[in-house]
Amino acid sequence: MKIFQSIKWRLQLWYGIILVVVLAGFGGMAYQLEHDKVFRHADNELQRRLNVLVQAVRRVGRPLPQRPPFRPQEFNPPPGPPGEIASEDIPLISAGNFHLQPRDELLFDAAATNGFYYVVMGAEGEEIARSTNAPVDRGYGYEPESTMQVNQMSAYPPLKDDRMKYDGQSLKYDAFPAGGIPGGQPFPPCQRGSFRENEILLVPNDRTHGIQIVVGRNMVADLAELRLTTVKLAGVGGIILFLGLAGGAWLVNRALRPIADISATAAKISAGDLSQRINLAGAESELGQLAAVLNSTFARLEAAFAQQKQFAADAAHELRTPVTVMLTQTQTALSRDRDAASYQQTVAACQRAAQRMRRLIESLLELARFDAGQEVLKRFPLDLSTLVADSAELVKPLADERGVKIIADVAPLEITGDAGRLAQVVTNLLTNAVQYNRPDGEVRVALESAGGLAVLTVVDTGPGIAAEDLPRVFGRFFRADGARTGAGNAGLGLAICRAIVEAHGGTIEVASPAGHGSTFIVRLPV
Amino acid sequence: MRILIVEDEPDLLTSLAQALREEGYAVDTADNGEDGLFDAEGTDYDAIVLDVMLPGLDGWEILRRLRRIKKTPVLMLTARDQTRDRVKGLDIGADDYVVKPFDLEEVFARLRAIIRRGTNITTNRIEIGDVLVDTAARQVSFKDKLVELTAREYSLVEFMALHRGEVVTRTQLYEHLFDENEDSFSNLLDVHVSNVRKKLGAEFIVTRRGHGYRIA
Repeated sequence: MKIFQSIKWRLQLWYGIILVVVLAGFGGMAYQLEHDKVFRHADNELQRRLNVLVQAVRRVGRPLPQRPPFRPQEFNPPPGPPGEIASEDIPLISAGNFHLQPRDELLFDAAATNGFYYVVMGAEGEEIARSTNAPVDRGYGYEPESTMQVNQMSAYPPLKDDRMKYDGQSLKYDAFPAGGIPGGQPFPPCQRGSFRENEILLVPNDRTHGIQIVVGRNMVADLAELRLTTVKLAGVGGIILFLGLAGGAWLVNRALRPIADISATAAKISAGDLSQRINLAGAESELGQLAAVLNSTFARLEAAFAQQKQFAADAAHELRTPVTVMLTQTQTALSRDRDAASYQQTVAACQRAAQRMRRLIESLLELARFDAGQEVLKRFPLDLSTLVADSAELVKPLADERGVKIIADVAPLEITGDAGRLAQVVTNLLTNAVQYNRPDGEVRVALESAGGLAVLTVVDTGPGIAAEDLPRVFGRFFRADGARTGAGNAGLGLAICRAIVEAHGGTIEVASPAGHGSTFIVRLPV
Repeated sequence: MRILIVEDEPDLLTSLAQALREEGYAVDTADNGEDGLFDAEGTDYDAIVLDVMLPGLDGWEILRRLRRIKKTPVLMLTARDQTRDRVKGLDIGADDYVVKPFDLEEVFARLRAIIRRGTNITTNRIEIGDVLVDTAARQVSFKDKLVELTAREYSLVEFMALHRGEVVTRTQLYEHLFDENEDSFSNLLDVHVSNVRKKLGAEFIVTRRGHGYRIA
């Protein structure tokens, strides 16, 4: 069943069916036209010959007309002038007096006319005349009921009001279809086996006798030719069908190849190889667009995975050092008996390591909550200037220790935000500005309102940040000097700052003109 | 055996130094890259334990500079366990690496291995006449009987055994058996040599007057 679920095979099947129907229709029509042509021609020829024979019957016992000349195509001969023939001269048609004119004989020449034949029979079925090529193995003549029909013919209208006058008395041969079927088509040809025949019954108006004329033609050659035509049509149709299917298969394959590419690539990606991309060459169609969209999705996916992997590796890496401290401390302590002071040192070192891990884990969880959008801000109106002053107070001991002066130039500025989170941002920025400052340096904090935004600027007089590091400053686990400068600093502080500011709908950025300290600018909506 | 540890995490540095001292090594320490490079260039250590992530000069840079002048065996401590980091360290000239977090046992074993590699000795067991030195167990036996040695005496025997056949100067012995905090001009060395001779036979250590000591 799988084959019918495939778009490719279903398409093939459908247009295969359509192609077959169309070809069969055209083929049938072509055959019918050819068939009709052959038979119409044969029927016309039969009709013409029948007319000749009718003329011959009617001519019996009558002098050949002087004029106008005989025209075999015309069914109605020019009426002869009445009274020229005496009534006693009217003979019954017999084998003796029936004859065709030599020119008409040619119409039934077996060699020249492709097998036209005739038989003329009298009322009793006796043969009056026949052409030499008329088939002999079958009988002609009236069947018993036909004889009776002769007398009944008067009840029916004749096929043609075709009268001849004999000596003032009209002797009229009415023509009837040989089957005696009234009201039908005049002289309908019929098929007897391979023979096409047209029969006619001539009945004089005195209804004394009837003359049956059969004109026929052996159609074997024509039928054979028609069969050949049929074979040819079928052959051509078959070839067209084959070409159509092959071309269609090619087109479908070509059109669907991107799908195969896409599914193969997607399979590899789902197997874990995120670096795979769909080959876009030669696919400008809708599928090409789809492939391009998928490729960019894959790229984003890969980037996100790589980032996640890096983050996990960094986090694990940050945990390695405190774990190493605990392992070496405890292994050393346990390697022999020691005094209480030495155990105390070990326990204190382990505690420091554990605290460090706790801070790291808290920072990681904090970031994870911001990432997942689970962190709920408690937003209330607050005065940013008091928040800055409080933070500066908090950082002051550290600043004093390093001889750094914090200069806060702030006027009250009210915004709506999470006071605790924003204090975290300011404290972090101030701590960084103090830590990465030169001794006796300065930290300047400015606060102003501009364009509907509260703008907080923290400038330090430290060595600044290298230009190539600037884009990574807010990244996770970024540290300017590439090493642990303090047990509590895992390089997550600024990443958390950015997460908090962005959760408030604000922005944070950094500038650091070479050698002139760094400037952090936080913009928050009022 | 004298070892330098360069590590910026204070708690790790003290515990590593203590553990190695208790293993009988003379240990110097440095808690930043500059000091570490200065010490490493100035003294012939038997091995250096070098952290990769350091403030100032990082471990790779120290190694790169040290390798221009010295072949001192270096054991790198790294928190990065990715292959490219390990390859980088080994390519620059590290002799081995240990990934954090590690067990002290492993650090000890790798240190023994890189120190041994710098000599002609290939195993942990060195046989010199009736004396057998087991550097893994840090034990010495004489005529199949275990001999009690102090840590310093053992270090002396081990150093001499690793350099058997060579004349070892008193300066060398001072440099490799005592750390920077000890008084290298005392007669401690003579006391240790005399004690070892008492325990392992007077002929075990031969004095080459004016040059130093030698074991056959």
